[in-house]
Amino acid sequence: MTGSRWGRIQYWGKKLLILIVSLLVLSVAVFYISRLAPGDPLVSYYGDRVEKMSLAEREWAEDKLGLNEPLTVQYVCWLENALQGDFGISYKYKLPVVTVIRERIGNTLLLGGTGFVLIFGLALLLGIACARHEGRMIDSVICSIGTISSCIPEFWVSLLLMLFFSVNLKWLPGSGAYTAGQASDWGDRVRHLILPLTAVVLGHLWYYAYMVRNRILEEVRADYVLLAKAKGLTRRRVLFRHCLRNVLPSYLSIMAISVPHILGGTYIIEMVFSYPGLGTLTYESARYHDYNLLMILCMLTGIIVMLCDMAVKMVCKRGTEKGAWP
Amino acid sequence: MAELLEVQNLSVSFETPKGEVQAVRDVSFTLHTGEVLAVVGESGSGKSALCKAVMKLLPASGRIRAGGIYINGTDISRFGERKMHKLRGKLFSMVFQDPMTSLNPTMTIGAQIAEAVRVHDPKLTRRQIYDRAAELMQLVEIDRAQERMHLYPHHFSGGMRQRCVMAIALAGNPTILFADEPTTALDVTIQAQILGLFRKIQQDLGMATVFVTHDLNVAAEAADRVAVMYAGKIVEIGTTEEIFRDPRHPYTWGLLRSLPVYGRGQETLYTIPGLPPTLLNPPKGDAFACRNPYALAIDYEEEPPLFRVSDTHYAATWLLDERAPKITPPVRKTADLPPYGHSVREEQEILLDVRHLTHVFPLDKKTTFKAVDDVSFQIKRGEIFGLIGESGSGKSTVARLIMNLYRPNVGTAVAGKKQFFGQNLSGGDQSRSAARILYKGLDINDPILFRQHKKMLQTTRQIIFQDSNSSLNQRMRVWDIITEPLRIQHIVPPRGSLWAEAKFQMHYVGLDEAYLNRYPAELSGGQRQRVAIARALSMEPELLVADEPVASLDVSIQAQIVNLFRHLQQEHGFSFLFIAHDLAMVEFLCDRVGVMYQGKLVETGETRELFANPRHPYTKALLSAMPKGGSRFGEMLV
Amino acid sequence: MAVRMENGFEIVGIRTLPREEQTRPRGHRRDKESERSFLGAALILTTIILGCLLCDLFVSRDLGYLDLRNYSVPPGREFLFGTDTMGRDIFAMIWYGGRISLTIGIAATMFSTVLGVVFGALSGCAPVWADALMMRLVEILLSIPSLMAVILIQAILGEANVFSISFVLGITGWMSIAKVVRSEVRQIRECEYVIASRCMGGGFFHILWKHLTPNFVSSIMFMVVMNIRSAIVAESTLSFMGIGLPVEVITWGSMLSLSEDAMLANAWWIILFPGAFLVVALLCFTGLGNHLRRNFNRGQSNL
Repeated sequence: MTGSRWGRIQYWGKKLLILIVSLLVLSVAVFYISRLAPGDPLVSYYGDRVEKMSLAEREWAEDKLGLNEPLTVQYVCWLENALQGDFGISYKYKLPVVTVIRERIGNTLLLGGTGFVLIFGLALLLGIACARHEGRMIDSVICSIGTISSCIPEFWVSLLLMLFFSVNLKWLPGSGAYTAGQASDWGDRVRHLILPLTAVVLGHLWYYAYMVRNRILEEVRADYVLLAKAKGLTRRRVLFRHCLRNVLPSYLSIMAISVPHILGGTYIIEMVFSYPGLGTLTYESARYHDYNLLMILCMLTGIIVMLCDMAVKMVCKRGTEKGAWP
Repeated sequence: MAELLEVQNLSVSFETPKGEVQAVRDVSFTLHTGEVLAVVGESGSGKSALCKAVMKLLPASGRIRAGGIYINGTDISRFGERKMHKLRGKLFSMVFQDPMTSLNPTMTIGAQIAEAVRVHDPKLTRRQIYDRAAELMQLVEIDRAQERMHLYPHHFSGGMRQRCVMAIALAGNPTILFADEPTTALDVTIQAQILGLFRKIQQDLGMATVFVTHDLNVAAEAADRVAVMYAGKIVEIGTTEEIFRDPRHPYTWGLLRSLPVYGRGQETLYTIPGLPPTLLNPPKGDAFACRNPYALAIDYEEEPPLFRVSDTHYAATWLLDERAPKITPPVRKTADLPPYGHSVREEQEILLDVRHLTHVFPLDKKTTFKAVDDVSFQIKRGEIFGLIGESGSGKSTVARLIMNLYRPNVGTAVAGKKQFFGQNLSGGDQSRSAARILYKGLDINDPILFRQHKKMLQTTRQIIFQDSNSSLNQRMRVWDIITEPLRIQHIVPPRGSLWAEAKFQMHYVGLDEAYLNRYPAELSGGQRQRVAIARALSMEPELLVADEPVASLDVSIQAQIVNLFRHLQQEHGFSFLFIAHDLAMVEFLCDRVGVMYQGKLVETGETRELFANPRHPYTKALLSAMPKGGSRFGEMLV
Repeated sequence: MAVRMENGFEIVGIRTLPREEQTRPRGHRRDKESERSFLGAALILTTIILGCLLCDLFVSRDLGYLDLRNYSVPPGREFLFGTDTMGRDIFAMIWYGGRISLTIGIAATMFSTVLGVVFGALSGCAPVWADALMMRLVEILLSIPSLMAVILIQAILGEANVFSISFVLGITGWMSIAKVVRSEVRQIRECEYVIASRCMGGGFFHILWKHLTPNFVSSIMFMVVMNIRSAIVAESTLSFMGIGLPVEVITWGSMLSLSEDAMLANAWWIILFPGAFLVVALLCFTGLGNHLRRNFNRGQSNL
């Protein structure tokens, strides 16, 4: 009951504080972990030339990138700059990381966002369809398709899709987000989106559909369904007005929790399709020790995870405040 | 003119993993406008399935195998879902057993009632629906309807929820109301209120009612006519007066005789021998024959038809055939029954002494709930002390405090202190807090004393719980369960081996030793409770605490278990704390009784004295709420 | 019949009928179906595992040998499933690769099960505040995309080998088991048979061993099997991306990492066969898991 205004300010202040502290902790963890890992960050900046560098040249290069100071000093430096909005440059692209990310985030949002909406929309529909016809043909068919497809790793689905529709049939482009030089052509973008999107949706759909189905079936077994039927409601009305209504809040919170996981899934698919998004970027930065880029990508993911977590809490809190959930 | 409801040769069966269960077998009855028909039977006798079949609310595995259901002459037994949902609510409606689960937890009460109103009259405006919902809530005697409409079910108590369910059922002005054990899940006093409300509404609105219950007393109070069901069949049907004054079927005799009232002056309660048959493959002939002391040879061969006794009274027993010997069941007037014959025990040593016991549960950071509030009582050696009260009155908390499961946090509890330790307790201890439990004179909540006497405390006090299903580990075999305490305490089994010990205990509580290697799930509720008793007895306890041990059992099984308790207590001589909400059982079993109300022990006394002259207003209310319908009909069978 | 009826009207009282054989719950139709799919899954899985273990007997080709004359050969008589872009025989590689993939799956699951059970049991037995703290930690860990965590931890450990990758997959996959164990323990702890046991003086270890363990083992078996499945998927994904085991170590995943070249050559067999084996193995694990799962929609639908 955040009745008073002061109470609300306190509430949000507390949330914000937790968010900031968690981000700090996360940044420390990622910073140290990435730097402790074996590997040579210079490779990503200078490429093959590193092998031919003399010791003096190396020292100069490391000095230039600020890599030879103690880790703690490096971190403090990074934090100072970051607070002023300067997240450093990407070693590989030799551009400020913010610029690099800005170019790609749109693509990921498009893929992930559409995928997310499609997954949860379709999962709900399929789940309801299954629950409504429990134990009948349509239910068992959807369930078995779901079981089988849940066993197919995302990357392999992507490979197969690519193999059939792009390499063999040549219907759809198999890589990239748009044909070179046609970045503003939306039709082209959509055509590039279809295969990765299909892979994203196929990878997650069944799990959530199956979950919706089981939740509804649980509800349908409750006693209140009998009373609702006894008062003269039709089956459809009982299903939608009562059962579905009780399932939706938990479905919403599961949607929020799932954001990072679906995001993780899109990362893999982006890589298979060489789709220029954050996934490819994360992969590259982790692989080639592009520290600054990796930092900001991890922070971004962290923020998303925490925001989703907060969203879940708010859904639950609203539920309890209204008194709907005991 | 056609009857309002006429059921002809209805058979209902359920598909289960074990096979087809014939829940209702060839049942016919009629229901006239405005009358109340009570359907009485044990659980599993098919009474609930019968109602649900008429309303077509059977689950997917259940189906109507044969027969017709005529409403004003129209057969609805072949109606599909499309036609049925138009009839439901308007023509007939239903009130279910458990009000805690039959309302949708996420919708406000008002919305659920309004929904029922709207379904029957979609043309109403919002305002009209709202008014009608409020009117319905007033009809079921919920005051401040306007405010309470916006509350959710979990804000209400069980009785209030049942009122809401009734409001929903009445929303469409049904001609027939099915009430499926509507008062069973409620406390005694609430039960009486709801029953009264039912009668009032039924008379005001004049709707026909089918009232399903397992309690003959409730049936006698509520109904114009009674149908007795056994093993899926109606074995006797007649007006209430006929059933109670002139019952003809041996099963009805048995039911009447096992009412606890007729245990007065007896050593044991009457119980019908044996168990009801499974309806997987019903026995040949009369299903009741193998429990019927008056069974005829033909009963084992051929099913009896319904014999006519009078125009309204029919019974399905061969005893009514003209060729059968005439049997007159012994009749005795209730008034002649002697009062309960508990000999007042001479002064005995006090085993358990509970003084000023208080226990507070923290609900959240700020609020607390005082579950037990300054309770003091004593139990002497060899005494049966009954603790009665409604749910939430703190009875179970008292039991758990006595068993050291909770530490009294604003009070103390004391069980059977050994005299020579008495000095330890006086003095400094008393000044800290007045509350304590002395067991044999030992303060069981004193950590040092507890450690010193741990083994004695753990072996001589034993507890039995209400739900035998959850009090036995499903993954242990019966013999393993019974001998668990012996193994925990590393006691050498007095009868040689653990197996022999388990066998002995099984025999002792009247169970076949063939069950020793079974899992609890393969046993029936009564058998499981016997296993729990055997486990407790294997330690030769001096104090046995039983927390509602019979509440989850069928009436006839309850009587068997209560008989067993009495028998065992006489043989063993242990002290017994019997916690229950069923007054009749307590009256039969206990020497002294304590009445708990909202955490307080409001009255204690000798059973006979307390039941005859209750002093506290709550005790009076409790006693007057006991359904005594049966005793209306002065003379009875014994 | 009629004669017998005439004589039937005498009181014989209670006769004990022949005792009915206690029928144990027989399988439902759906149970039978699951039984069948379970048997099928077990059969195929055994074949695959045996094939992987005994592949030395029927595969004679040297896997290290890169036959550069025979690269990207389509399936035929000599190479049953064809060869990959480096000229290795895919049929042989599948069996050898299966060894490592399955080993990683099982080893990672052992790690995660032990961790999950210990953590869950501790949390379940801990006082409320510690329990809340521990569960909060689990929730935070659960919300981190597991792939990212795996990549990071693997980066610390350096060059991947079979053991390190099992370890990493293990410590990123124990949370769901811990959650289930914890809630089971909490629930069982409140059960009356545990309370009764405490009254009789049963100690912590007696209760843990006699009551808690048998009851939660059944509920986590499903998750354990599913963990094997997801560990295999994760390993193959990592190897496919080139972050996991190096290409020389043959697993089902690393075989697929050549897919880019295969795509260019339109060599579908390089992608199809290893992947198909992977999927079949995963399906078998799912079949096993579903069989072990407690059937929760036991009751009857009221709709």
